Amino acid sequence: MKGLIRSFLTTGSTFLRKPVTREYPETHRELPERDRAFPLLLWDQDVHEPFCTGCHACERACPVECMTVMMKDNPAHTSQGGTSSRRKIIDKFWIDYGRCMRCNICVEVCNFDAIGMNNTWSGHESSTADRLDLVMDLQQLLSQSRAGAVKPWIAP
Amino acid sequence: MTAEFLGIEMPVLLEAFIKVNIVVLAMTVVVMALIYLERKIIGRFQMRLGPTRTGPFGLLQSIADALKLVGKEDLRPTGADPWVFELSIYFIFVPVFVGFVVVPFAIGWEIRALELGLLYLLATSSVSGLGFAMAGWASDNRYAMLGGLRAVAQGVAYEIPLVVTLLAVAMLSGSLNLREIMLDQGTVPNIVWQPLGFIMFYIAMLAELNRAPFDIAVGESETAGGPHIEFSGIRWSMFQLAEYAHLWIMSIVGSAIFLGGSAWPLGEDLGTPFQLLLMGIKSSALIFLAMWTRASLPRLRIDQLMGFAWKVLMPLAFIQVLVNGFVIVYDLPLLLLTVQGLIGIVVLNWAIQRAVARPAGRPGIAAWAASEATS
Repeated sequence: MKGLIRSFLTTGSTFLRKPVTREYPETHRELPERDRAFPLLLWDQDVHEPFCTGCHACERACPVECMTVMMKDNPAHTSQGGTSSRRKIIDKFWIDYGRCMRCNICVEVCNFDAIGMNNTWSGHESSTADRLDLVMDLQQLLSQSRAGAVKPWIAP
Repeated sequence: MTAEFLGIEMPVLLEAFIKVNIVVLAMTVVVMALIYLERKIIGRFQMRLGPTRTGPFGLLQSIADALKLVGKEDLRPTGADPWVFELSIYFIFVPVFVGFVVVPFAIGWEIRALELGLLYLLATSSVSGLGFAMAGWASDNRYAMLGGLRAVAQGVAYEIPLVVTLLAVAMLSGSLNLREIMLDQGTVPNIVWQPLGFIMFYIAMLAELNRAPFDIAVGESETAGGPHIEFSGIRWSMFQLAEYAHLWIMSIVGSAIFLGGSAWPLGEDLGTPFQLLLMGIKSSALIFLAMWTRASLPRLRIDQLMGFAWKVLMPLAFIQVLVNGFVIVYDLPLLLLTVQGLIGIVVLNWAIQRAVARPAGRPGIAAWAASEATS
């Protein structure tokens, strides 16, 4: 009987406690800064251009070959009369999110800290009706970092 | 013959027909509400929210479920015995439904206040054991068979303490008419005189309803749903309907017999809406208690279950009848019954304690364990 009463009291106390459920689509739990969704290109807010120089390091390192990188001469380089110290800069960049396996290798091999993992909810809620919509171009890859939506991230 | 209903004179049969229809409609709504509430309440017991997606607070969940069940294909296994399989749900559903005839929702708000109402209710509701046996047998499925047999064994075992405890209460009232048992309680409800009876009724009720912790017959982890296993769509929903309707009936009857029904504590001259409200509160409390039990206690083993019914509940129920008889015949003070009931609860407690004690405390099992260890 003692055990019976104790079990009833236990369940009674859980009944009175607040449910721990988070109603997911309406409320989002805050993600940790090292949360690893899909890779994004980062935006240099000081000189207003991407950090990426198009060096192909990430493309070569990518185990699933989901990246395509094209490089060009930087029109904003100091030799061209601009303010940037980057001689070369990214021209076109595609990442196929449908292929990406979020392994973080591209982030680790990048010499310029120009690529980072998306640590916001938008990186997780990326379902689309068409597979081709998962292929992100340069503008899409940059837009979040440009808007300052990505939380500062410290590399391990 | 004519009868009056809502102030209109009409033939008796028409009046009964209208009342039956009202009860059937109310039953489907109440069952849907009960399913929704059970999911919500069990959810809260586990610190979840329960259904929230369908409509505001998930209120339309039961309707969505019902629509889904109606839309599902009605399957019958090729090896099943067609007649027995198809008829079995009616043998579960109809007895429950027939029991509504005597359920006293409020004074004057039963379909018929039969003189032998309690007997009628118990007799009809025990038929549903046959339905479980038929469903289990006809499904051509070992788990269903096992579940059906368990349901019957359990139903028969717990029917006896249930009947005998209710009989003990009927002895106090001197009537089997549910309305008279309800009104006879006056200012003190029967639970005061029969605390042991109430607890035994409650335990036997849970077992009769195949509810946790007595749900070994339909337990998912043991018999994969038991007799329900091969039923789908509308047939399965009728199982569900019968189960929750039975829960509703039992809670109303229990609150009428032990908690004074709609008459206590505000007297019998109260307006019908208030009576219905009072009855609703009492029966909801019993239903909530059943859900709380489900959330709290683990499932019993079959031997524990049967042993508890035959070795503990039955003797106590018969002792209750005996003591009630002495008190009535020799005009002893009723307080004696309360004392006896409390002593009975202590005995019940001791019996449960003994049953859950470790095998070392029980020589038979200890000897068996020792022989197992040496061999």
